[in-house]
Amino acid sequence: MSDRKMRLGASVRGLGYHPTGWLDPDVPADGAINFNFYLDLAKTLESAFFDIFFLADHSAFFSPNIPEGALGRSDGGAEFEPITLLAALSAVTSNIGLVATVSSTFHQPFQLARQLGSVDHLSGGRMGWNVVTSSRDAEARNFGEEKILEKGLRYQRAKEMLDVCFGLWNSWEDDAFPRDRERGVFFEPSKMHPINHKGAFFRVDGPLSQPRSPQGRPVIFQAGASEAGLDFAASKAEVIYALQSDFDSARAAYASMKERVKKFGRSPDDIRILPGLMPVVGETRADAEAWKRQSQKDLDPIVGLQRLARHFGDLSKYDIDGPFPDEVKSISGISRSDLYLEQARREGWSIRQLYENAVISDQHLEVVGSPSDIADVMEKWFTEGAADGFNILPAKSPRDIHAFVELVVPELQRRGLYRTEYESTTLRGNLGLPDVPSPWV
Amino acid sequence: MAPAKSATRQMKLALHIHATGHHVAAWHHPRSQIDAGSNPRHYIEMAQLAERGKFDLIFLADSLAIRLGDVKAKGRWPQYLAYFEPLTLLSTLAAATSRIGLVATASTSYTEPYNLARSFGSLDHLSAGRAGWNIVTTGNAASSRNFGRPEHFEHEDRYRRAQEFVEIVCGLWDSYDDDAFVMDRASGLYADLDKMHVLHHEGESFSVEGPLNMRRPPQGRPVLFQAGTSETGKETAARNADVVFMQQQSLERCRSLREDIRGRLPKHGRDPDEILVMPGMAVTVGRTEAEAREQHDFLQSKIHPDVGRAILSAELGYIDLPEMPLDEPFPLDLIPEIDGGVRSTAQALRRVVEAERPTVRELYQRYANGRGSHQIVGDAVQVADELEHWFRSGAGDGFIIQPAVLPGGLEDFVELVVPELQRRGLYREEYEGATLRDHLGLARPESRYARPALQDAN
Repeated sequence: MSDRKMRLGASVRGLGYHPTGWLDPDVPADGAINFNFYLDLAKTLESAFFDIFFLADHSAFFSPNIPEGALGRSDGGAEFEPITLLAALSAVTSNIGLVATVSSTFHQPFQLARQLGSVDHLSGGRMGWNVVTSSRDAEARNFGEEKILEKGLRYQRAKEMLDVCFGLWNSWEDDAFPRDRERGVFFEPSKMHPINHKGAFFRVDGPLSQPRSPQGRPVIFQAGASEAGLDFAASKAEVIYALQSDFDSARAAYASMKERVKKFGRSPDDIRILPGLMPVVGETRADAEAWKRQSQKDLDPIVGLQRLARHFGDLSKYDIDGPFPDEVKSISGISRSDLYLEQARREGWSIRQLYENAVISDQHLEVVGSPSDIADVMEKWFTEGAADGFNILPAKSPRDIHAFVELVVPELQRRGLYRTEYESTTLRGNLGLPDVPSPWV
Repeated sequence: MAPAKSATRQMKLALHIHATGHHVAAWHHPRSQIDAGSNPRHYIEMAQLAERGKFDLIFLADSLAIRLGDVKAKGRWPQYLAYFEPLTLLSTLAAATSRIGLVATASTSYTEPYNLARSFGSLDHLSAGRAGWNIVTTGNAASSRNFGRPEHFEHEDRYRRAQEFVEIVCGLWDSYDDDAFVMDRASGLYADLDKMHVLHHEGESFSVEGPLNMRRPPQGRPVLFQAGTSETGKETAARNADVVFMQQQSLERCRSLREDIRGRLPKHGRDPDEILVMPGMAVTVGRTEAEAREQHDFLQSKIHPDVGRAILSAELGYIDLPEMPLDEPFPLDLIPEIDGGVRSTAQALRRVVEAERPTVRELYQRYANGRGSHQIVGDAVQVADELEHWFRSGAGDGFIIQPAVLPGGLEDFVELVVPELQRRGLYREEYEGATLRDHLGLARPESRYARPALQDAN
């Protein structure tokens, strides 16, 4: 066990999770659509041997104008499409994994398998796919539907989507392309396997128009928290993003997921569980706390209320600093909203405290402190059965990425918890996950 | 200061990349990169070389199926097989180049307009204004069977759907005015949402709400390319396209098609100079004519008869062709009847057969390099003479160069032909600007919302 190392990813869409990031004069306010901004992040993370450069995504701009006047007061609405951005970054990086969030609800498997497989080839085996099913009507309305597909059906579609993509990624044997000039044989027809899939959602003949990719297929990521999401993750995912903010429940969820994968004929070693972690780090604990206080002070209450609007509707009629109103209910239908509500009631938070404490870090573990404070928490979670590593969520990017890399990474290395060089040039290799052998050998 | 150059019209050049080259036997040649289709380094080096040769753009064709046809033939002819998906490849090339345009083919039949608008908009942002979209409607059954349809859309349906698709995509790119993202730290206002436009498109084939989650692309909209010389194809090109790509073997036909297409622009409220017509040119250049001829003959000798038949089948719309004696005339009755809906490549092939009655071998050899395009085999002066002749005759505003073998054919073209064209003043010595529109001399389009008064008047 002593040589077990922590895996680290960073979720780096835009200017971070705190809505005030763009107000910092040292940050390019257009970061989300500025290639050099991402280039700097990718290089920084690669210099610290991160496993994963991760991009979240949605298929719409849906920031609500709730309360009235909130729209346009935080960054958003102008960002890259993740697969193309990661393809570009593949040319200027060499080890870090490149993971795109892509919806299984709004794509067709043939083209998606091509694009993701193509980036796996372009990057020499560093592609990952975070499979999301998308939950918003605003997204459905960009794809010809009034309402988002019902959750059960979304997961059925996601499952079939992965079955088709896996089939396509395996549609050529590893040695199907001898490219033999002497014999005049470019490929061996006997080593080609069309899939001829006919299912409830898709009919796809195949084969894919590219050889099997360096990793066999991209590494599959999943973050669902509902029962359907957990089963989907346990059956298909190799990296699981966990939404946990306290140690005991994180440890229970970790054990439960490692157990759950067995139900699908998989080994607990076939997955990596990475809880999200928002580190707010300073040279000293006091520095970190001051930085956090300043960020909260900079936050326009209308933006905080807007963040709550998706979960609870317009809360502007209530006293922002009074007790959390009893009549407020979740309106989103997602599990996260209920977690917020429970948390607010349990902690006795006001509306302001809820958005300051929870909604900005998005229900994930937040640690404010010195490098060793943060390393202590990470070490505990990692060594005591709650995590295989972490998905680092910068409150403000790139500030919190640079701070983590400069201050926390050396501390983790000093403790022998984290690598000092890459083990591999593929994402699966660095994560220490088993290879995906061709089914045709 | 250098004296201003005379404003001679100069030709535009595109590099059309098929992984190992355009000749069906390219991969047999030692100067082709045999693992091209999964070798990013090969593409990066070609893109950088094309950029040193001041090419306007790189052009990637695409297919949504490997279109197997005859497996025996396909095993010897790896077109649309073992190759990168174009948008992802061009995104990689965007990071490795700084000036050259990046044009990918993408279908309006089997993608979602919202996703496509995002991908091309993203490429335009990644490359700081160098993206182009070659709009295709995809007319083969093999592709439809990868997307859940037993049959492909009919010709007219495809174009009607394509027109709606293109209008949605262009509308989505205009979701935000150029100055919508004010990012004013003092007032805390990131975006002025009065300058956001929600599309609310409800049409025959699509409904798309918008807005796109992206700033307006640097070029306003990526450059729109279209091929196809059917009546519907020409009409939609005149309506939408910035550049028309064609594969024709006769100068006269290119000239008349160019005039035809230009003549259709005014009725769409466009000036004929707002469109560029670029025929494909299958070029094999050597230090001497004999060297070029030797490479060409080597490639022609490597065409397996199964592959020869497969090429002709593809030109005729992927129909089944029987085995035929190679040195007898190609039977005219194997060519499908021409109706309004047939692909223009089949019409072009019929014209060749009717006019010249070639043997089967002669016919497939003619199509083996660059398919329907005009072929030039010669030394630098001969190649430049031919390009100059076509250019001055009004057959094209520039050419899509289709080297027989890659990267070898590109190395030769950049080393030998480019300096000859520059010496004649026919081709740029430096890029004129930063974006693909700058290179092509095309204006950055105004947003459809830029002049509300005019919109209301319509």
